[in-house]
Amino acid sequence: MNRTALVVGLFLSLPLLVFLALGFRSDPKTIDSPLLGKPAPSFELVDLAGTPVALEDLRGKPVLVNFWATWCQPCIVEHPVLQRGAERWAGRAHFLGVIYHDEEDAIRRFVARRGGWGSTLVDPGSSVAIRYGVYGAPETFIIDTEGIVRRKVTGAMTAGYLDRILSEAS
Amino acid sequence: MKSRGKRPGPLTPLHLAPMLLAPVLLALVLCVSSASAQEFELGADERRQLGEPLGVALTGAALETRAHEVGSLLRCPVCQGLSVFDSPVPAARAMQAKVQLLLEAGYSEGQILNYFETSYGEFVRLSPKPEGFNLVVWILPVLATLLGLGLVAVRVKRAPVEVDATLEAYRERVRKEVAE
Repeated sequence: MNRTALVVGLFLSLPLLVFLALGFRSDPKTIDSPLLGKPAPSFELVDLAGTPVALEDLRGKPVLVNFWATWCQPCIVEHPVLQRGAERWAGRAHFLGVIYHDEEDAIRRFVARRGGWGSTLVDPGSSVAIRYGVYGAPETFIIDTEGIVRRKVTGAMTAGYLDRILSEAS
Repeated sequence: MKSRGKRPGPLTPLHLAPMLLAPVLLALVLCVSSASAQEFELGADERRQLGEPLGVALTGAALETRAHEVGSLLRCPVCQGLSVFDSPVPAARAMQAKVQLLLEAGYSEGQILNYFETSYGEFVRLSPKPEGFNLVVWILPVLATLLGLGLVAVRVKRAPVEVDATLEAYRERVRKEVAE
């Protein structure tokens, strides 16, 4: 084989192969949200009891916005963590759960059986999920006292991690 | 062949009922659809983010066609390499509905792509924007093709013309006969 052709071929193709290999390794779910450090998209949704909840009205305390569904296994794993977290942070932070592509009735049954935490909000047309760039459930956004998005967490959280990120945003 | 069907009888109130019910049902359907359209209206914050619509408010077939085109430029967030238009998953369906809503409101393709990019990042575009480091993706294939064609041209030009020595005697004979 022509040695020059081999060297030139490797020189051209190796960087491209490395570039593609790195691309295959990246998981879109781990891509940082472009909302980090920016004002949280405002919303006003209605909870399961029909009470409107506006993000704007919750300034002054950190807000946890968790997108979840009953069909999502990690959400079920995370549920007790959020329940206990909401109790620990009662009066110091707001906990909002946004229903992500699920039936209201299924959520009602789930909450009746296992208990809830914070407000459970209905998101018609997944409008809020789109504005937060949600890739899947569960995804959690931590909004600080000034209304700035400080964290995006993909997957189920542990109690220790939840406390840490809420403390950071306080 | 004789038809075995029953002969139509006179119209009774039972026959007329569907005809009378149809407009009522249609009105109900329209009420429900307008209610759901209201549900998905753009919020004030979204309108602020989007700015003034730069396109033309679309309806009917033009809206369907444009929604297909713009939805095909957006990546489904939970699929592998599928566009929002092509994917049947609920997350993609919701994004496609939002595309349609924005086109109905008169927002341009650029405004809609930027709207999704603000929340999902540039990854949401199926084709990266031709700027900065992304230019590599656009330029490299063209450069590689040109380089390949150049190499082939050089090789063809340099390749020696092989002459079969055994045929030389015959060629000489042909030359002589032609000269005579």
